Amino acid sequence: MTASPFVLEIGLAALFLIVFFANLATTRADRRHLGWLAFFGVAALTVVSMTLAPTAPALGGAFVLDGLAIFAKRLFLAATAIGILSGLAAPETPFLRRSGEYHLLMLSSLLGMLVLASARDLILLFVAFELMSLPLYALAGFLKRDEASVEAALKFFLVGSVSSAIMVYGLSFVYGAARTTSLTGTAKAFAAGEPLVTLGLLIAFAGFGFKIAAFPFHMWVPDTYEAASTPFVAWLSVAPKAAGFVALFRVYFEGVGERVVYWLPVMAALATITILAGNLMALPQQNVKRLLAYSGIAHIGYLLVGLAAASAAGTAMVLFYLVAYVFGNMGAFLVVEAVTRSEGSEHVSAFRGLAQRSPLLALAMLLFLLSLGGIPFVAGFWAKLYVFWAAAQQGLYWLVLVGAVLTVVALFYYLLIAKRMYIEPPDRPAPVLVAPTLAVSVVLCLIGIVALGVWPKGVVMAALRVAAPLF
Amino acid sequence: MGLHAYLTLSALVFAIGLFGVLTRRNAIGILLGIELMLNAVNINLVAFSRFTGDLGGLVFSLFTISITVAEVALGLAIVIVIFRVRKTVEADRLDLLRG
Repeated sequence: MTASPFVLEIGLAALFLIVFFANLATTRADRRHLGWLAFFGVAALTVVSMTLAPTAPALGGAFVLDGLAIFAKRLFLAATAIGILSGLAAPETPFLRRSGEYHLLMLSSLLGMLVLASARDLILLFVAFELMSLPLYALAGFLKRDEASVEAALKFFLVGSVSSAIMVYGLSFVYGAARTTSLTGTAKAFAAGEPLVTLGLLIAFAGFGFKIAAFPFHMWVPDTYEAASTPFVAWLSVAPKAAGFVALFRVYFEGVGERVVYWLPVMAALATITILAGNLMALPQQNVKRLLAYSGIAHIGYLLVGLAAASAAGTAMVLFYLVAYVFGNMGAFLVVEAVTRSEGSEHVSAFRGLAQRSPLLALAMLLFLLSLGGIPFVAGFWAKLYVFWAAAQQGLYWLVLVGAVLTVVALFYYLLIAKRMYIEPPDRPAPVLVAPTLAVSVVLCLIGIVALGVWPKGVVMAALRVAAPLF
Repeated sequence: MGLHAYLTLSALVFAIGLFGVLTRRNAIGILLGIELMLNAVNINLVAFSRFTGDLGGLVFSLFTISITVAEVALGLAIVIVIFRVRKTVEADRLDLLRG
């Protein structure tokens, strides 16, 4: 018997209901056990996802469980498991008393991502996209007595809903010209050169650009990252972005054949300005979370370089980059969480002398920064190398040059943090206290980037395999 | 009336909504602008559905309407929370985060 294509979605919906009813049944104020319930459920689903094999399309072709969907779902589930685990130790009262709501919101956003990875129909894609986005707005304002947190939630919500309105306006033209909501049909219409489909897809790109935080649509990123709770930001900075890229593959690449090169100049231009803007705006930042926010925007630019290649190799390398980025960026944010909890400051000076105070934590941060910066033998190096290689294959040498030069700029601000950790003396000698769950999450991310750095071949081959059928 | 009349109407409604979003200083006003933009989408979908004879657009517009409702409910909740904490919903005065 083959497994149902919906096994992960049904499992997650069941987990959602279990957590929901457990929340109702709990009478005491400390509800953190619901977080553990959610964590073990998602971890179990991650294990289940590893055993999945592609199946035939379901629901009349609207829902597919192909290689790309499985690859993406594994990534979303693993990232969410680490995200939930790292947030379990947060001491603020809302996280104790409202742990049920917090994790239910996270699970429903995850459900949106899982469906999004499989959606091959405009309606399902839009519903999944909103199911992923709406809980994020609520989660950003989760500390609802905190002035900065609610302000960040409002900004995130307003920019987010405007861009999803623009996206669905574009999709309505795509539907109108293709006369079908099936993505197979719209891809055919685009391949046939239907002008209204092309126009609609260009408009819709604004919505996707917002979700992945490409340059002109990035304004919400630094504010939201600065004000929301750090374990949530660690997850927000990776999982929805990865989902946005998978949706881009489905809508813009899958099944359009030769005409895919139409997107090459669009993506290349967007990649260039995103890399430039992200890296240059990261330079003057003194708040570590804002710095990582801008550096995250730059990483989206590098991912767009792979997208600009508009080829199977480019898509595969974007998938590999996403895996490396998920572990590297989450890890860096989680170390920031540990340090800011102990120092009470998000300023870069909180990292002074960390190597003498907590050498292991400093080493972990150094490895994450090197991975983000693209230094050999951690995951980020291969990721950058491969996307540049894919772009060079398409003759985009100028794009590779811009990317490579700006990598040096990025190394400068990453190594400024490293300098604070390793060269400057500490303000006080006491080691940084790290909650056990947070420490485990950091170690998981560390294993991810080191394993990918030493042995990238397995994931690269898997990514190439799942990207090939798209073209 | 042809399809073009409806598409022009929806483009106008969309533009008015976008203009409201960009110029309004009050968070509620911005929400109203977003509503208009989403209604333009519904006009588009229903018009395309009517003139191509494909029912998908009607289904799509039903989903758009329900998602819009969810979105606005969440938006108003955020506005209420922000009013309790900050005593204002003017976008210009919400400037703690910058740089």
